[in-house]
Amino acid sequence: MKSLIIGETSKGTLSQGTLEIAGKLQSEGLDFHLVVIGSEDNPKIGGDTFNATYLKINSEELTLSSVADNINKIIKENSINMILASSTYIGRDITGFLSVDLNSSPVSNVVNFTLSGDDVMTTNSIDGGESEYITKVTSDYKLLIIRPKSFEPAEILLNENYESINIESNELTTSVYDVFVEEKTGPQLDDSKIVISAGRGMVEVDNLKYINELALKLNAAIGGTRAIVDAGWMPYSQQVGQTGKTVKPDVYIACGISGATQHQVGMKDSKYIIAINKDEEAPIFQIADLGIVGDTLNIIPKLIENL
Amino acid sequence: MKIAVCAKQIPDPAIAVSYEGGAISRPEEQVLDDTDRYGIEVALQLKEKFDAEVIVLSMGKLGTQKGIQQALQMGADKALVIEDDSLVNANSLMTSNVLSSMAKSAEADVIIFGTESSDGYSGVVPQQVSRYLNLPCISYVKGIEINDDTILTRQTITGSEKVTMPDKCVISVTASGVEPRYPNFKDIMAAKSKPVEVISISSIELTAIQNQEFVEINSISSDKSGEKHIDEGNSFNLIIEKLKEIKAI
Ligand SMILES: Cc1cc2nc3c(=O)[nH]c(=O)nc-3n(C[C@H](O)[C@H](O)[C@H](O)COP(=O)(O)OP(=O)(O)OC[C@H]3O[C@@H](n4cnc5c(N)ncnc54)[C@H](O)[C@@H]3O)c2cc1C
Repeated sequence: MKSLIIGETSKGTLSQGTLEIAGKLQSEGLDFHLVVIGSEDNPKIGGDTFNATYLKINSEELTLSSVADNINKIIKENSINMILASSTYIGRDITGFLSVDLNSSPVSNVVNFTLSGDDVMTTNSIDGGESEYITKVTSDYKLLIIRPKSFEPAEILLNENYESINIESNELTTSVYDVFVEEKTGPQLDDSKIVISAGRGMVEVDNLKYINELALKLNAAIGGTRAIVDAGWMPYSQQVGQTGKTVKPDVYIACGISGATQHQVGMKDSKYIIAINKDEEAPIFQIADLGIVGDTLNIIPKLIENL
Repeated sequence: MKIAVCAKQIPDPAIAVSYEGGAISRPEEQVLDDTDRYGIEVALQLKEKFDAEVIVLSMGKLGTQKGIQQALQMGADKALVIEDDSLVNANSLMTSNVLSSMAKSAEADVIIFGTESSDGYSGVVPQQVSRYLNLPCISYVKGIEINDDTILTRQTITGSEKVTMPDKCVISVTASGVEPRYPNFKDIMAAKSKPVEVISISSIELTAIQNQEFVEINSISSDKSGEKHIDEGNSFNLIIEKLKEIKAI
């Protein structure tokens, strides 16, 4: 199986999702070609054990169809048959485009895969992680879109040895303006050891001050449910769950969260889960290591005071 | 301007998805996927400004067509629908192949989607349709301002960016970008007389193939037997003790 990873840059190096896919392929003893999409200059994305190609895009253009054309060429030239991307905005766009070119439907939201002769068996997580759905991909080209945090990241010494291609615009390119980069200070959801998440059970947006204070004391990142993101209490970038981020911290503290399956998908693999909810029957307690049945607005202020 | 908006009928989302031989079980009565309401709202805002025609495209089990009616009640003008045994458990590429073909026969300039369905959530259909039709793909739109030009704000991994909507394109709209409208009684009555045209599979050139075989569903025994305590005023101590025990603090 000749594999290709569709990777992305982050802060001058490979994104976490890219490293996770590389880690899985390494552990299966599979070689891979790495293509990396980014707009940064000279990121460290090369390595001694694989070939890397940097596809440099202009941050003032939306031109991923042209990127896909380039990747398609690399796939053909290198007789690639398995293509893997992380389930990010760019990863999904590119894989979607390539699936049409290669006439092979991708498998989305893959959390694990194994090889079985010429076929690939993929695993999807369903029922909020209580069941796994296994699919056999039988086409010559296999396209997999991998959920973040499914695999341990590869430990690779990265360098600047790789081929670099400047992506040219094409007739579908659209110009982009008012690029806004969200200020990110403090611990981030993706890599923080502790995550504190708020749900509608914080009752009012003002009460998020308790979540902020607790996060400060514990050096934790802050997340939330779709219910409170939709209510405008928190930006979308902090949403945890099926349509938001997947997190896997050492400790996840769910404050006033019911634990809908779509939320669980994004956090159930946290090492230790603490839940505070006044409803004894809330589904979040089924996956909590420590469940406290009580009022968030009583418990959290006391917790802050006593830490 | 002609706008196609793709909408899916899904089982009641309040009930957990169940499967029959690998395919999602679909009752006779399915509802409009909430995710699609955002795309429909964007289509209707464009319709109001540019006097466009809004055509709902839907693939899948028709049943009572409740979900199709819900899309028409919001304000779409008509619907093209398709149902065929060969499309049960269609993968994302087959779905896109069919929807692209329907969008073409509807002569749509702009094709609008939600970002992913709530039941299957493959999340790649808008991108695939744009590739089939060779149109620019403006994915993950979370805001729209309609003046002389239409400005779309896209969600990106680092924040957001704006693009001017091309005359012909495919758009996917994230939840929470716009506020979907609620139909009133008049809208609900009006929808009943809007045309719903059933398309035959024979009119579609289906080149995408099924490349995925369902193997099995395994339940993962969750061996989690956590502890649960009723708060009597001092459970904060319990939390602190645990955090110390697992060396988190
Ligand atoms: C397609 C789809 C995708 C989705 N994607 C996501 C996603 O990515 N992420 C996500 O989070 N959700 C997602 N959802 C929504 C999800 O189904 C739930 O609606 C949502 O997670 C509920 O958020 P919540 O727990 O804050 O609110 P609720 O479900 O309303 O729960 C609030 C909880 O707070 C408790 N409570 C109330 N007051 C107090 C108090 N004073 N003290 C203690 N507890 C209290 C209540 O007992 C209740 O359990 C998705 C839904 C769909 C259909």
